[in-house]
Amino acid sequence: MAILNVGVDFDKDPSGRYYTDGPASGERFREEFLKPKLGSLSRDEKLEIIIDGEVEGYGSSFLVEGFAGLVKHGYFSKDFLRNRMIIKFSDPDFEFYRDKIWMYIDSARFRSEKYASTKR
Amino acid sequence: MKKLSSKQILRDKRRVLLERRKTSKERIRQSKELKEIALEVNNWVKRRIKEGLNIKFLTKRDVAICLPERMNFSSDYESTALYIQAIRRLASRSKVNRKQLKLVSVDFSKLKKMSTSAGLALTAELSKWDDSISKRLKPVTDNWDPEIVNRFRELGFFDLFSSSDEENQISLPPQEADLSIVKYIKSRCKGSSQTRLLRSELQRITGKEIDKWTFLRSGLNEAITNVGQHAYPPTYKFREVDKNWYLTGSYRRSTRVLKIIFYDQGIGIPNSLPASELWEKVYQFMSELSVDVGLRKRDERLLKAAVEVERTRTGKSDRGKGLPDMLEFVRKRGEGYLSILSLRGLYKFSIENGKEKVKTVSFDNRLYGTLIIWQTTL
Repeated sequence: MAILNVGVDFDKDPSGRYYTDGPASGERFREEFLKPKLGSLSRDEKLEIIIDGEVEGYGSSFLVEGFAGLVKHGYFSKDFLRNRMIIKFSDPDFEFYRDKIWMYIDSARFRSEKYASTKR
Repeated sequence: MKKLSSKQILRDKRRVLLERRKTSKERIRQSKELKEIALEVNNWVKRRIKEGLNIKFLTKRDVAICLPERMNFSSDYESTALYIQAIRRLASRSKVNRKQLKLVSVDFSKLKKMSTSAGLALTAELSKWDDSISKRLKPVTDNWDPEIVNRFRELGFFDLFSSSDEENQISLPPQEADLSIVKYIKSRCKGSSQTRLLRSELQRITGKEIDKWTFLRSGLNEAITNVGQHAYPPTYKFREVDKNWYLTGSYRRSTRVLKIIFYDQGIGIPNSLPASELWEKVYQFMSELSVDVGLRKRDERLLKAAVEVERTRTGKSDRGKGLPDMLEFVRKRGEGYLSILSLRGLYKFSIENGKEKVKTVSFDNRLYGTLIIWQTTL
């Protein structure tokens, strides 16, 4: 089981949609952390993503870009994510974000938008 | 050195003449524009004086704005917004027509009551003015009401002014025991890490953890993202130094009421909608209700549409402004309200006795930018 702790491995203040929104955006999280981690999973290996701990909260723009962007840009299918991604938290309030992540993933259309980086 | 031919000399002369003509045309155009702005500003002031705006003429051109007795967006919105607007319109810019009225001071002596949100908006406006004149403003607090001095001191108002000698000038009254205010945070920073400072300050003044903080944090994250993406678009030519957001909080012990206030001085949500990817859906929403966006209540309706469209269609669109995230703190706490004031509109979402209520209002006076207020009882 691979582990990605957002607050430790990425940033304790994740916020914003694009690179242009700040240093801890959803786009950066997806491109530099989540996508490589998911891409390097061995057969049947799962990725546990810890979303609380150091992190105080998430805005929708971060979650949409960070997670649903994986489907939208055609990196991974919804089924792949459902089978391989486990979202973990110990703070019960973070259930809200887990549900949002899955809702955004479920409503994303596979390969509906070609990715163009906003990195300057 | 090569000698120029008569043909070359003639060509150079023509080029120089053409450039001079261009510059002078540009100058005439600019001076005409400044004259029009001056006329518009001066006429606005004349009209507003008739409606009660208190302005003192120190010379033919120099004016002082005398703030009213109360500044509060809940009970005295129109007057509060009018005075803040007057400061914005009259505070000096780098280039103005010599006939344009010019603000040289703001008189606080009549001000007796002021809410934290009005204090934050006023502080932001004065800070903007101070930035535009290379930080030359200086507060003279001799005739200020002690309560107002205290309010501003707690808010961190005096830290704005590098030339401030307020601490040495007056003997400060004891701090108000009932109301505590968090020193405001001013930032152009796009990340949201500074909201951690607000959290620790709120813990200090309330003496406890804020339950459901994560949902407030989520709303603040979206508010900050919106400032970066929509509040100061390049087409409006904001100076880099003016692209700020402000944040503060207050706690009243007797009522256990906690307020968190976020403010930006940008173009406002209603103005940012047409350029956003949400516009198509907002427009559709307005059409379904047969609402003409050109009416007087435009800002109120656009504001409502912006929140409602996202609220009712979340999941179908991934390009909103995160406005529903802002409601979540109040919703999870089960009581309190969220107010979004932007330009001439107010959108208020509240929960009382378990019942959700939405109220929208249109005002005569506009508030530049967007002011977001969360209130809850601890």
